[in-house]
Amino acid sequence: MRRQARRAGCSGLWAARALVALQAVCVLAPLAIIVVWAFTASWPWPHLLPESLTARGIEELFGPSQKLGEVLGSSVAIALACAFFTTTVATMAGRALSRYRFCGREVFRFAVLLPFLIPATVFAMGVQVAFIRAGLAGTVVGVVLAHSIVALPYAALIMTDAMEAAGNRLEEQARLCGAGPVRTWSGIIIPTLLPSLLSAASMSYILSFSQYFLTLLVGSGKVKTLALVMFPYLSSGDRTIASAYGVVFLAATLVVFFLFELLLHKRMAREIDYFNG
Amino acid sequence: MVVHSLKARRMGRAAAPYLLLAPAAVLVGVFLFGVANGVAQGFGIMPFLGMYEPTLGYWVQVLTRPDLAASVQFSLYIAFVSSAIALVGGVLLSAALCAVRQTRMLSLVNVQIPLMCAHILVVLFMVSLFAGSGLVTRLLFHLGLVSSPSGFPSIVGDPSGWGILATYVWKEVPFVAFCTVTLMSHVSDRYGEAAATMGASPVRVFFTVTLPLCRGALVKAFLVVFAFAFGAYEVPFLLGPTLPKALPVLAYLEFQNPDILNRCVAMALNGIMAVVTSAAAAAYFAVLRKEGRRK
Repeated sequence: MRRQARRAGCSGLWAARALVALQAVCVLAPLAIIVVWAFTASWPWPHLLPESLTARGIEELFGPSQKLGEVLGSSVAIALACAFFTTTVATMAGRALSRYRFCGREVFRFAVLLPFLIPATVFAMGVQVAFIRAGLAGTVVGVVLAHSIVALPYAALIMTDAMEAAGNRLEEQARLCGAGPVRTWSGIIIPTLLPSLLSAASMSYILSFSQYFLTLLVGSGKVKTLALVMFPYLSSGDRTIASAYGVVFLAATLVVFFLFELLLHKRMAREIDYFNG
Repeated sequence: MVVHSLKARRMGRAAAPYLLLAPAAVLVGVFLFGVANGVAQGFGIMPFLGMYEPTLGYWVQVLTRPDLAASVQFSLYIAFVSSAIALVGGVLLSAALCAVRQTRMLSLVNVQIPLMCAHILVVLFMVSLFAGSGLVTRLLFHLGLVSSPSGFPSIVGDPSGWGILATYVWKEVPFVAFCTVTLMSHVSDRYGEAAATMGASPVRVFFTVTLPLCRGALVKAFLVVFAFAFGAYEVPFLLGPTLPKALPVLAYLEFQNPDILNRCVAMALNGIMAVVTSAAAAAYFAVLRKEGRRK
């Protein structure tokens, strides 16, 4: 009986390994294909490998006809602004939801998640006139505001969970030792929450960077982001150009993610040194 | 004096959570204002045009149009099928990730990279894989299963919407795993071990201990994926068939009509989306309440 169970566990482990490997292939294969396509000059059917390679796609994107540099700059700036703003708002909300008991707490906890459940398409079409009248339509501020609304549920979930898990022991010890609120925040609360702050920020960055429909409606076509200029190329047309856009898009997301990771690791390494030294 | 400052302090403490929540409340307020504005326009209320009289005319017009049933059906089908596959796949992936030794690299490749890729980027992935000139059709040709680039049901515009489903599944299986993996590894460490020591087989532990304890998180993840797949515009616009159109695609088409009164039609269509997703939101709230009571 036991042995049978162990054997079942063992084959289960192999099944688990196979599944994880399969998922890795499913994720990495398309990434690899668009990188290859972005540098392909010709790839006749049904060959499995491209015939000749070129840098035409990437060159054309950044050349005078597409001027992608500017668009890329504004996309990154909008996404960074959204990440900073959303994380700040979510941290405050998370603090309230994790540390205080108050009337309407459950309703608030649910309300911040609403943009998760009611589609952004309904919001975008409904709010368009109001944004035009408020002078927010077609402005970067309006786009950052709209993106932050969509990113809020993710960031609020991450921050509330993190603060509930962290508890208040360290914080109270600091207060007992005489630290004021500013020192408690800068010396204890923010450092212990740093990993979650960075993951909330990178999530918000990614969400803002990926928005198409919301940016189109709120930005009125005047605020151009990478998602917006890339969209028409996606389903048809020049595969090399579409993939070149895809590679730039992917790179812009991954670079920021790894920068955040690097920041975190450096910080963690320093802390370990401190405790060991 | 001391009493006074104590009182002020207590009042400060009572006000603190509301002050901390104020910015988030403003964002949610803008969101709800936008949604409510849209729903009101569906009833013909457009203050900026001096229209204040509510009417059911646009809803009647929308509900009686011949293409509506097919559109609603198509959107519900896409949402149900993609969220059901995402749920099953996500549970399997999450269980597999708990079973193997987790490394940063594994979670990065298996979960985080898909979370980072925008839906429009995933559309590009799927087209590169499955379109006539895609790698999968080439592979199938070499296996002798397909004889020409068009020998495979087209990923763009096929009435089964399989391209849309593939995109959502690629993106949402890791999302469901992301929502459950921490809880699942915690549950199987604590209670799964106990059940296993008492002689339960791994499969039995999974179905009688791990899954029931993760149910809340799974239902929440399912509802989020469902609502998203039901209401998102980009993927069905790029990959969907000309007829039936997904509901958000149909609504935006009506919205773009140069006649501004036609917006009321678009907003009535949005109203249908709001009703369906509000039902998902209500279910989500019920799960939250249940979890809150247990705590």
